Amino acid sequence: MVDKKIVEYVANLARIEIPPAEAEHISAQLSDILAYIDKLKELNVEKVEPLRGLHLENNIFRKDEALASGCQEDILKNAPVREGNYFKIPKVIE
Amino acid sequence: MNEFDIVVGLEVHVQLETASKIFCSCSTRFENPPNSNICPVCCGYPGVLPVFNRKALELALRVSLALGCQLNKKIYFERKNYFYPDLPKNYQISQYKMPLGENGRIDLLSGSTVRIARVHLEEDAGKLVHREQHSLVDFNRTGIPLLEIVSHPDINSPGQAYEYLNALKLILQYIGASECDMEKGSLRCDANISLKRKEETKLGTKVELKNMNSFKGVRDALEYEAGRQEASILKNEQIFQETRLWDADNSRTEVMRSKEEAHDYRYFPEPDLLDFTVEESLIELQRHSIPELPLAKRRRFLQTYRLSDNEIDTIISDAWLSDFFEQSCRIFAKPDRISNWLLGPFLEQVNLLPDTFDGVKISPQNFAKIVQYFSEDKLNNLAAKKTLALSVATNRDIDEIITQENLIQVSGQEELSSFVAEAIQEGAKAVKEYLEGKEQAIMFLVGMVMKKTKGKANPKVVRQLLEESLKK
Amino acid sequence: MVDLISYSGTAIARAIKGNSSTRDSVYAFFAARAKKLNRSLNSFVEIYDEPVCGDGVSSLAGVPIAIKDNICLKGKKITCASKILSSHVSVYDATVVARLKKAGLAIIGTANMDEFAFGSSTENSCYGPAKNPWDTSRVPGGSSGGSAAIVAARLAPFALGSDTGGSIRQPAAFCGVVGLKPSYGRVSRYGLVAFGSSLDQIGPLTTNFIDCAHLLNIISGFDEHDSTSASVTVPDFSAALVEDVDNLKIGIPKEYYASTLAKDVKDAIGEVIAFFKKRGAQVIDITLPHTEYAVATYYIIGSSEASSNLQRFDGIKYGSRQTGNCLRDIYTHTRAQGFGSEAKRRIFLGTYSLSSGYYDAYYVRALKVRRLIKNDFDEAFKTVDVILTPTSPTPAFKIGEKTDPLSMYLSDIYTISANLAGIPAVSFPCGFTKDKLPIGAQLIGKDFDEATLIRAGYTFQCATDYHTQIPKIAYE
Repeated sequence: MVDKKIVEYVANLARIEIPPAEAEHISAQLSDILAYIDKLKELNVEKVEPLRGLHLENNIFRKDEALASGCQEDILKNAPVREGNYFKIPKVIE
Repeated sequence: MNEFDIVVGLEVHVQLETASKIFCSCSTRFENPPNSNICPVCCGYPGVLPVFNRKALELALRVSLALGCQLNKKIYFERKNYFYPDLPKNYQISQYKMPLGENGRIDLLSGSTVRIARVHLEEDAGKLVHREQHSLVDFNRTGIPLLEIVSHPDINSPGQAYEYLNALKLILQYIGASECDMEKGSLRCDANISLKRKEETKLGTKVELKNMNSFKGVRDALEYEAGRQEASILKNEQIFQETRLWDADNSRTEVMRSKEEAHDYRYFPEPDLLDFTVEESLIELQRHSIPELPLAKRRRFLQTYRLSDNEIDTIISDAWLSDFFEQSCRIFAKPDRISNWLLGPFLEQVNLLPDTFDGVKISPQNFAKIVQYFSEDKLNNLAAKKTLALSVATNRDIDEIITQENLIQVSGQEELSSFVAEAIQEGAKAVKEYLEGKEQAIMFLVGMVMKKTKGKANPKVVRQLLEESLKK
Repeated sequence: MVDLISYSGTAIARAIKGNSSTRDSVYAFFAARAKKLNRSLNSFVEIYDEPVCGDGVSSLAGVPIAIKDNICLKGKKITCASKILSSHVSVYDATVVARLKKAGLAIIGTANMDEFAFGSSTENSCYGPAKNPWDTSRVPGGSSGGSAAIVAARLAPFALGSDTGGSIRQPAAFCGVVGLKPSYGRVSRYGLVAFGSSLDQIGPLTTNFIDCAHLLNIISGFDEHDSTSASVTVPDFSAALVEDVDNLKIGIPKEYYASTLAKDVKDAIGEVIAFFKKRGAQVIDITLPHTEYAVATYYIIGSSEASSNLQRFDGIKYGSRQTGNCLRDIYTHTRAQGFGSEAKRRIFLGTYSLSSGYYDAYYVRALKVRRLIKNDFDEAFKTVDVILTPTSPTPAFKIGEKTDPLSMYLSDIYTISANLAGIPAVSFPCGFTKDKLPIGAQLIGKDFDEATLIRAGYTFQCATDYHTQIPKIAYE
């Protein structure tokens, strides 16, 4: 059961604003989905090693060579708000 | 602090000295203008993927080995999830469950040992620049390989923390892993400090200290914080588990305004990077690339060279300098003379160079030759310094300089006697004073001879000749 | 020119090469069709007036291809059908795009999709739902619904899609085309906007297996920009275009033939089994005992990875930004306005499963069940070469029919396991329902053995004409 409090906690972690009216609805939907997912608890997986990924033995490295990407300006152009060569944001208080 | 023990653990972040970032090919250069070392990967663009820089692993491995860590032979990365504008993906690729190195140690000169809990690799975040009304984000630093070195809470005093940091820095510089320049941010240090009553085993509440900008700052902050905590405890006030910022201007710590955030980093294995096997051959290669470490070198220097502690500490404070010293001694086996010239005139010259040590070209052979010529009276002090000045950034042939600049010291009585006679004749006033018992007056006459010989005369011989002539 | 509709991509390339057609006229033909029919199908997000193509040569040079709107093409908008990226211009090429350019294909535009590939119907698009060319009141499937509809309606001979839990195969089945999800690591993910990083693969959608093999040849192979791409040799898949299933061991997993399977679908698959038997294949009953846990496992792993992958959309670096008094408001407003409801649901689900206190119960448990599911396949492939199943339990459903998220999730029940196990799978047309809706069969193969899937599928294709049937709307 995902109650409203958990929904608010999760929404905060995910930085998505939810109108209070919607919290109830979302909590009901997530509860339904998780009730289905709880099916996994039927299985005894105590001795099973989690599968972190596929073909894990890949060992791919990059050589330490500095290269200019050539798209610094394109990246800055995509900034929603820009000041000079910076991305501009509201004042952050540390 | 009679009633209390101080318990300190340090968390040090160092940027590794790679040419490119840890997961993309952008340069790691410090001076470049804002947002010039950026690409889709380090800016967290949709669709990009990280590729691990082998050099970062090599350097991290070297550090782990130099700190005597046990190595995890199979490593993988995890994502640490949190929103912050200096973190383009809003997660940091880091290591959590399986750090590269664990259970290491640093032995300090004072005899104590600080255990290292873990050494792990991660990517650096970007930089925020604060303006009056807003903030600005620069991603140049984003993705520079960062090594986190976490000590056990084995440190018992601010002084020991200072010593630990210097020892760690020296090791990292010796093995070429990091520049460790706190001003440039290539080394950063946070501290955890708590107090414990001497008779108790239970640790007190831990306070995290941040915002220290120098080793001295770390020491001062710990000093202040230990005092603050002691005073609070004695007044029966509660110590809160909190983060405090060091305010260097006012020499005090202040509570960081709480972000009211429960940290829930949701670590999970980074699916874009698979496992990395730390091969035995790579470990051996790195093990062999580790030079003699500072503490061992210090011990050996003390035995081998019979110099003062101070001199040795200065020489070994730089791996390059200590190598240069040893090589010079191999050419001219008078360590005290080499040390004098190295720490004196040589460092003076080096500091005049625009890029200091990077600009030094002189070989230990040529340097030793200058010291030797000086010691054998072939060059006088002035001429030796001039030779050094002319060769330090060029490595010009010493004998050629001496010949071209006509610097060979004149010590022969025959060559000098006529100049001495001239000086006695022309410096009648000084002669008179000397003969009347004013010993110092002879220096004026020596100076005259030096001038006449364009600085080439051996001043000791000149004085001797003057004294002999005037006694007659 | 109307003939081009019934041409395969390879045939069009041959026509260009043989000078019976020109690149320009071929492009003009398809671009005009795309623009016209997109009004009823809504399968494109953007149609380019001029093709984006390199000057490369290959067996497919000049053939128009649509790419799903989650694949980066430098200088062009990439939106993932999300408001949060609605004005975003890519600054780099995905590796598959670079390979298409190198092979001289003509990129015609971007295909509609479920937002960030979250969905099975292409209804979760900020551009509105794409329509199924066989019945525009029905969905084309998803999330690569636009790609499948484009190929089915012959608006382009080829399309690329992405498949995290069936997003290429299920729409291929719904639209009556061939859609292949390669083995994990076969095709570079660099430049594919990530949904579930350990599950995602880019793959081809084509009308037939010949095109599929040739297109797969072009996009496959190790990529130094993708550490998860496999450094295994890529065979020439066109060499698998032979009619031969003699002694091929085909596994029939009983778990995929449950009572919920629609009768038309069940019958059609029965015909496929009968065909392979007749052609000398050995049909073997097998079991994949953890199949019923695949959907739950997938939703935890996929959503967890997605919740993290989508954190980068915050209004600071690119995309749209909503106003706010402080940084936190910018984040929460931008993400609340920018993401659609399904995206939010997955983000919440994933964030929840990774959060402290739930991580072991959900995320770690799902990884463990993932291993069990993979073990099932490893076991099965000890006795069989390929596995034959329906692609989807039903044919295309009506737009708006599935309102409950869970019932939508369950429509991927037959496709999800291959992603969890990382193995290749293909859906191909194998019949029609009474209402003339396409039905798809799925072949699942061993790791990196796409070739056997192509060989079996091609053998079936040579004996049937389902792949040559074209929806009426294509002639409008």
